[in-house]
Formats: sequence, C-alpha cells, structure tokens
Amino acid sequence: MAYIAPKDYAADPEIVAKILRTISGQLELDWMKRVGEPAAFRPSDSRGLTLDDINQGGYGPDKLPEVIRHNFSMAPRGALIPPGLPSLGYRVNRKSDVWADVAPSLFEEAKSRRWAPARDVPWSALDVPSHDANHELALCQLATSLISIGLVSCDVAASWEWRMNQEFHEIKYLLCAQMFDAARIAEAFRKRALYGGGSLGVDSRPLGELLKSIFLSDTYPEASAAMNLTLFSFVQALGRHWAAHASNAADQYLGTQLTQDATRFVTYGVDHVRSHLHARPLQAEALADHLDLCENALVGALGAPEMIEPLLLVSGGFAAAAAFYARTADEYFRRCAAAGLGDRRDASALTPFLRMLEGDAG
Amino acid sequence: MAVRFPSLEFFQALQQRTIEDKARFEKLGYCDTTFGVRIGGNLYAIAFEVYECTSVRAASDSHGLDFVLEAPLELWREMVASIVKNKGADAAHTLNTLSHVGDRMKLVSEDAEGNDKFYRFQASLQEFFDQARNLEVTLPTAGGVPAGA
Repeated sequence: MAYIAPKDYAADPEIVAKILRTISGQLELDWMKRVGEPAAFRPSDSRGLTLDDINQGGYGPDKLPEVIRHNFSMAPRGALIPPGLPSLGYRVNRKSDVWADVAPSLFEEAKSRRWAPARDVPWSALDVPSHDANHELALCQLATSLISIGLVSCDVAASWEWRMNQEFHEIKYLLCAQMFDAARIAEAFRKRALYGGGSLGVDSRPLGELLKSIFLSDTYPEASAAMNLTLFSFVQALGRHWAAHASNAADQYLGTQLTQDATRFVTYGVDHVRSHLHARPLQAEALADHLDLCENALVGALGAPEMIEPLLLVSGGFAAAAAFYARTADEYFRRCAAAGLGDRRDASALTPFLRMLEGDAG
Repeated sequence: MAVRFPSLEFFQALQQRTIEDKARFEKLGYCDTTFGVRIGGNLYAIAFEVYECTSVRAASDSHGLDFVLEAPLELWREMVASIVKNKGADAAHTLNTLSHVGDRMKLVSEDAEGNDKFYRFQASLQEFFDQARNLEVTLPTAGGVPAGA
C-alpha cells in the first residue's frame, strides 16, 4: 500500500491561510534566518569542484558518528533538520558498514572516465572478420555471461542504495555510478554480441547461482565483498584477457574499458572491507564465511562449460585458460589480504579447483 | 628534434605531449598515479595528476611508486617501434597484452591497490606511450646501439 502523508494538505486551514498570506505579499522568511554552516569551498585543482573539495566542516563525513541516530529522513548532511521529518526507513545506518575514504574520488573518476558504447567503440572494426567463426562464437558466449553479470550487478547496487542512510550520500552516489557502470557493461557486450551477424549465447546456471549468492547477501558488507572483491576481480581479469586476445580495435577497446570500469568496483571493495574490518574486526569471520560460499559458487561458474570452453578457445588452449584462472585468483587473494581478510588461499574452494586445472594443464 | 629511446629526454617529450594533446587526455579522464618503467637496468618514475603527466625522473629504486612495468630493453624497443610504425601500439604490443601473462613484461607492485592503478588508468597510460607516434624517435638496434649512431 502506498504511503499516505499524515495531513490533507489541500484542505488544512492553517496551510491554506499561510499560502494566502504569501500570495498577499506577507513573507515569513523564517528559512532565511536559519541557514547551515557557512562554506566557501573552491576547486583544489584542475579536476573542478569535487566532493572532496566540499567535504569540510559539518558538510564532511569525518564527524559522522559510527551509528546514525539523528537523521532517518531525506535531509542532506549539513542541512538544518526541523522536528517532525518523516523517517524513510533506512536500514543501513552504521558508517563502518558502508564507508571507504576512496569512494568520493571513485565517484568523480567514474564520471570523468565515462564512455559511450554507441559511438566510442569502433564497431566498424568488426565488419571484416579478424578471427575464425568458433572464436567469434566464443566471444559471443563470454559476452552473454558479461551481460548477465552487468544486469545483476545493477540489481545488487540498487538493492542496497535505497536502504542506506542519506548521511552516507557519497556511497549512495557511488552505488548509482556502479549501477550505471554495470548497465554499460550489459549494454556494451550486448551490442558486441549482436553486432553484424552475431548472436547471444547460452546462459549459465552456475553463473546464475553465483550471482544469486551475491544478490541475496544478508548484509551490505557481505554483498560488497562478494560483488566488488570476488566477482569484479574476475570481471576485471576478463576485461584484460578480452583486450589481450583482441584481433580488432573494437575488442581491444571493449576489453580496456571493461578493465578500467571493473577496477573501480574492486578498488572500492578493498577499501570498504578494510575500513569495515578496522572498525569492527569481529566481522571478519562473517565475511570469510560468506566469501567461502561465494567462492564455491565462483568455482561452479568458472568450471561451467559455458565459461571455461569459450575461454579455452579465446586463449588458445586449455593450459592458457588455466593459467589465466590461476593469475586471476592470485590477484584476488592479494586483494583479500590487502582488505584485511588474511590469506584466504587455504580456505578457498578456488585453491583445489586451480590445482585440478593445473594438474590437467600439466 | 630526434629523441633517443630509452632516455629521460624520451619520457620528457612524452610528458610534453600530454600538455600539447590535452583534449585527448581529458577525454580519457582523471589519471592519478606515480609509476615506474624499468627498461633493462634503468628505472624511470612517471607521475600523472588529473589529466597530465606532471613529472618524469630517473629513479634509483621503486620507493613511492604504485607499480613498475619491467621488461628487457629489447621488448620496450619492440613496443616503441610498433607505436612509431603503426601510429599507436598494435594489439600485440599494448601494455596490457605485453604484461597480461607476465612472462614478457612484468607488473610489479608492493600492494594490490598499487597493482590495480595500472588497470584503472590503463587507457591513459597506453595513450601516454602511444604519443611516441608524434616524436622522432631514435631506437636502439637489437644489439642495443642506437640506429644511426
């Protein structure tokens, strides 16, 4: 049922009387006497006026309490808060559950490094076949998986953004940027698959299980670790792999852009998890338990024929695909350690999976 | 004027190109990193802020660098030759392709976040090297002696 405001504003005599006084020229101007903290912020460099430039004094995040109890409304941080503002029912109200110092600059970076698949990708480079038909089918299959990943990543960010307290607006902005970045991944690789005589491939059930494991995370820190650290470590590596094996300028461009965009997810993930565990070290076990489940699902996705077989074709053989997985996992484990999750190699389902591949590749 | 590769003058000329071709770097977006290029035994430190390269210098070690791209002189020579010849690196000679497997060019960093700056700003860094297409570059021969020297 829709929310119903507590007053019938159109019929309220007091409000009608006030409006009539305003119409007659009797202004109260009460709002003008009650303004927030004075500010005189300016751009600090050629970036222009950034969030970090204006995040000072009471407008900045530094003085936010660990748990927000003073504002559950839509009032922006630093505004004067009159009594009686409606609660918007935010459920994520703990700063250490969302915050990362790098988030404001990542949001600015996401906009600065924007690109438009419609015109920026040199699509005509695909007009002349630059690789064989099986290689092309493999790329379309990988593109199909990337579309699914992009769409669900939008959903993950969207599902937490509206639950997050307005006081953490930089993180909410960043989640909006993530939604846009993820939507662009889905858009760009859908266009790649369907350009010219292309087609979409087969969706992968194990990949769906991985994405569902992330989407249904119980807490935001768990969702962030699973999506930004685990999933996007793989997406970023796939971007590099796509570009490194490109045989035309369009794939070169797409792979590079995917790499850059995915790395912003990863960068936030590392800083967020590290901040979270610094403030609440006892949460390490909960995050590790969740990543155990997601890494198990990742093994399913990476081992699925819809993923490993096209990778094998694109990479030029099984050994090259196995080595790609090994390098990707190694970088992922380094990021986990940097985020304060310790050495996950021994606990992770990825390790025996990689050993199995290594044995077969050898 | 011809610049010799590898040399500090070569990187200074690339730095100047980020100012002369400002619009191209602005289109690629913010790029904030200080990284190293190790060519054989020589290390160059290159700093980017916002859109442009703000400094290049010879460095004695990798202290303060987000990451270092390391390769033998011959591979760097091959990459720059590809850039000059093709007006930008061909697919086989991009920084990404050369470093992807790690057996030709190595991406070395002390921490994961330093490593990730290479991936985050890859298009800008590639464009930095691709600007060699606008220079008159004297490349060493396979034996390391500059062509024409």
